[in-house]
Amino acid sequence: MSLHLQPVHVATSSEDGDGQLVFADDFLVAVLVRLSDQHGADVGLWFLEAGFGLTSVARAPLFFDLDAAQDWIEGHLSSKRGSA
Amino acid sequence: MASKIPHALCPLIRKLESVTRLSDEERHAIEALPVRVRTLSARQDIAREGDLATQCCLILEGWAYRYKLLSEGRRQIFSFHIAGDIPDLQSLHIPLMDHNLGTMTQATVAFIPHESMHDLTARFPSIAAKLWRDTLIDAAIFREWLIAMGRRPAFEHLAHLFCELYLKQEAVGLAGDHRCSLPITQVDLADATGMTGVHINRVLKEMRGRGLITLHRQTLVVKAWDELIRASEFDGKYLHLQKRALG
Repeated sequence: MSLHLQPVHVATSSEDGDGQLVFADDFLVAVLVRLSDQHGADVGLWFLEAGFGLTSVARAPLFFDLDAAQDWIEGHLSSKRGSA
Repeated sequence: MASKIPHALCPLIRKLESVTRLSDEERHAIEALPVRVRTLSARQDIAREGDLATQCCLILEGWAYRYKLLSEGRRQIFSFHIAGDIPDLQSLHIPLMDHNLGTMTQATVAFIPHESMHDLTARFPSIAAKLWRDTLIDAAIFREWLIAMGRRPAFEHLAHLFCELYLKQEAVGLAGDHRCSLPITQVDLADATGMTGVHINRVLKEMRGRGLITLHRQTLVVKAWDELIRASEFDGKYLHLQKRALG
């Protein structure tokens, strides 16, 4: 499995419009959005705006950068739930 | 009838009178309850899941909340409580706590032994009925939270909660002019609505941007009450308040 990113604008009804589509082997698995300065100290962190399948969790952490976000996504895609 | 200095249990009387009527005799009987008053710091558990309760906790001042913890640090808050509420009234008949009750702010509370409550309600079935009414309204609020959680979009959900929290405080004389205390963090709001902190932040910004509310220093000011009601499809009937003309 390999992840790849594709920049995208996301209509979040907020200033958080700067996003990335995350694909795993050509399947869309997540949409990440970079938090704008309306989030104060969290500005610049990446937020899991939407997750699909194994990344569809009630709550994900905020990620320091895109590498951290991809590590988390990979971890979830290869979790035990995936082989269930 | 009697004019005396405000009784320690005044918040409870005020709360019950916001949702029902009390005779003088009933009021005196409630005021005669033996209580142990304590001041608790913020974020302190009052009763924990698994405890066997032997007393009820009446909030005299400050805020409390009921919640449950799940794995991985997840938390669901399912109610906020203000002065006059007895959030663990149900423990009188189901003493095994199936959730946690904690303070949200520094709070003054009065502990009432179950024994005294049982005695009071046995002597005054009419008071038992009024406490039951309060519990049923509690259930009605839970139904509204369930609807909000399952079916209301984020903006509508949060606006609905603000309308509810304002009216609950107004009904017991703790708020007026569409201004009330709201000592709830964004993390708390997220855990009470099932949203993320990011979504709460976005919705609050949109509400402010539309001129509906201001929220600072733990004070909520609703600048456009009618619009907030409309935006959240709020119908306060479920609060079953006695006096207020809702809406």
